[in-house]
Amino acid sequence: MYGNTGEILLVDLSSETLERKKVPEEYYHNYIGGAGLAARLFWDWGDFKAQPLDPGSLLIFMNGPFAGIRLSGCSRGSVAGRSPLTGHWGDSSCGGHFAPELRFAGFDGIVIRGQSHRPCAIVIEPENLRILPADEWWGLGVFETTSRIRAKFGKRAKSLAIGQAGENLVDYACIVNDNHHAFGRAGYGAVMGSKRLKAIIVKSFEQNYHAADPEGLDQLRRSIDLKIRESVTSQVLHENGTAANLEGGVHTGDVPIKNFRSSFWEEMAEALTGSTLSEKYLKNKAACAFCKIACKRVVEINEGPFAIPKGPGPEYETIAAFGSMLGSMDLAATCKAGRLCNDYGMDTITAGSTIAWAMEAFEKSALTLEDTNGLPLKWGDMKTVVDILLPQIAFRNGKLGGLLSLGSHKASLQINKGSGEYLTTSKGLEAPMHDPRGGGHGLALTYSISHRGACHTANPMLFMEMGACYYPEIGFEYELEPMSEENKAESALLAVQLGAIENSSCYCQFADREITIPEWVDLFNFSAGYNWTIENMMSAGLRVFYLQRLLNFRFGLTADDDSISMRLLEPAVDGAPEGVPVEFDSMKKRFYQLARLDEIKGIPDRATLDSLGMSVEASYVWN
Amino acid sequence: MEYWKDQHEPITAFLKLFEKAKEDPELSEGLKKVNQLIWFDYTEDGSDCSFHVDCRNGQVVAKQGKPSEEPDLIMSLSADDAHRSWSNKLNPVMAITRKKIRVKGSATGLLKLAPKLKKVALIYEQALNELNFLDKILK
Ligand code: SF4
Repeated sequence: MYGNTGEILLVDLSSETLERKKVPEEYYHNYIGGAGLAARLFWDWGDFKAQPLDPGSLLIFMNGPFAGIRLSGCSRGSVAGRSPLTGHWGDSSCGGHFAPELRFAGFDGIVIRGQSHRPCAIVIEPENLRILPADEWWGLGVFETTSRIRAKFGKRAKSLAIGQAGENLVDYACIVNDNHHAFGRAGYGAVMGSKRLKAIIVKSFEQNYHAADPEGLDQLRRSIDLKIRESVTSQVLHENGTAANLEGGVHTGDVPIKNFRSSFWEEMAEALTGSTLSEKYLKNKAACAFCKIACKRVVEINEGPFAIPKGPGPEYETIAAFGSMLGSMDLAATCKAGRLCNDYGMDTITAGSTIAWAMEAFEKSALTLEDTNGLPLKWGDMKTVVDILLPQIAFRNGKLGGLLSLGSHKASLQINKGSGEYLTTSKGLEAPMHDPRGGGHGLALTYSISHRGACHTANPMLFMEMGACYYPEIGFEYELEPMSEENKAESALLAVQLGAIENSSCYCQFADREITIPEWVDLFNFSAGYNWTIENMMSAGLRVFYLQRLLNFRFGLTADDDSISMRLLEPAVDGAPEGVPVEFDSMKKRFYQLARLDEIKGIPDRATLDSLGMSVEASYVWN
Repeated sequence: MEYWKDQHEPITAFLKLFEKAKEDPELSEGLKKVNQLIWFDYTEDGSDCSFHVDCRNGQVVAKQGKPSEEPDLIMSLSADDAHRSWSNKLNPVMAITRKKIRVKGSATGLLKLAPKLKKVALIYEQALNELNFLDKILK
């Protein structure tokens, strides 16, 4: 097999067994790798009755076929499974250095089931696969755990670790690679915690990548890498990180303010934007494996209430989630909150959004001092967020910590009192820091149809509405007006296929904008030997999108769940999108027609599944 | 060229735009924050069809032609697309994606100006009015 190794590591933590397992070659052709292949393996091996934190649940780490190629952005990895936050199918992507190391160690992925009787770690070294006790790491944050792993296994070892939030089963606990890169969304850190799996360590001996056409791949990767390096986007990301355009985003109404209640705050725009971070706190830039863009930040804050030592700095999502969303323009506070979340191992988007929800609930008396143990929750009070709320959540301390550790959706179901009106979610997942009302109405549609819930990385709709995509070979050569429904359903149908291709090949969305459709096809063919045409590639993307929907259907989701909180649809009260309605229902209706989704079940009709070679899968959902 | 009768017309219009932008406190502040020497290169429409703006050291100076010093940023495009762009009728992200605008150097400073494009378009319209280029105003 080319590109992929064809093998995964199957781990049963209950019986403490590790087994190499071959993956049928056609699965790679049909489901690509990464998020798509993980969905396929769950379809075959998953227990649909197992709750996310039950021993019987599966946790699947999966590489894409490009992991290990010396090309910017192509070595991310996926984790997937039933999400503890949302209760249905989900996945999450992570950059960093774990995925290529796993490939070099001989595996495309790791499938974990069972529950260890004591804290443990999985160690993957060629010819030396084992499960180690990890009692001495249990209770530690991610930073200390990672440094102990490095002390024990050497600096070249790459690790995934959970912090206290994962151990304490916070529903949005994340998994962190090398302190800086996170499988952030949907709570897979809690799944690791439930399995008493503190860390996974991988160390290879040689960096081999067996391409189908080594010469072709070498030429192609050099030319793509050059384009990526020279692109304006890369250069801007390199200089000022992913928050480089936060200021511009405030002016278009893309950046949410105070739990998506406002769409414009000029002073905040300059205070939180990427160039301000560079001027005030940036010490170094950092990168995922082989990436020349290096959009990651390393920051240090020497004084003040939010002083932090030199270490991982916040990305755009973290800055907005702990800045504008909470009514704060204190950039240092976002750095500190982001650092705490990395160390506790918690998703910053859900953490910030859940706190924003709680602040609004408190303001409107749905949460009272009795619920908060006497703690007032006030917009912009970042001392309380950093010193009290984040630790309380990570350790599930007290009534408030316990409530907020559920995420906003479940917390609102628990307290009721009309607090559902303050939610900013789809399918139980908090929306990222891009407001569809200003950022682009197509986002409202793609947040709602994403299998994992409100998500901007499930597909490239954000970039398509921005004007950063041009794919004439598949018919995307028109301009989109962000604040309109025109052509959004048509674009969304392409977006879901492209998103499935990106997330299954585990390619970074910041880097892959420079890759043309014919280059994508060549990349798959030269690396993994899929022998695809453009049509084959797009069909694989569609197949993955459909399979993820079928999984959710089997978890009980239907067309009604393709919805989004009213807060993200009601006309904005200020800023660029002020008063502009989002025509959500008509976009969804049109998308359903184009994607041939059943209006009740929310899954594709049988003929469509048959045409993609999914007749067996169809028989599970159409009888 | 669709909008211009010769290569000098666009430069006259764009220099007028910057002359007026300097007088506007908000735009002038925005330009100073860019803090770069930028060459707007429209030489695909004629060898004299370009101008540069020096926004360094708290000043804003716009002059015809290529700067004598090495620019921090070069924006190369056609004079027609420049006209659409200053009129806020061209999505700059899309124009860059489709290679209608080619950028060399650091575009970070320009991001600071992006939010002000609506205002720039208003002032550009005034500039065209003052130059009696009424037929060129894009509605
Ligand atoms: S662009 Fe940033 S997030 Fe993407 S691969 Fe490169 S360093 Fe990682």
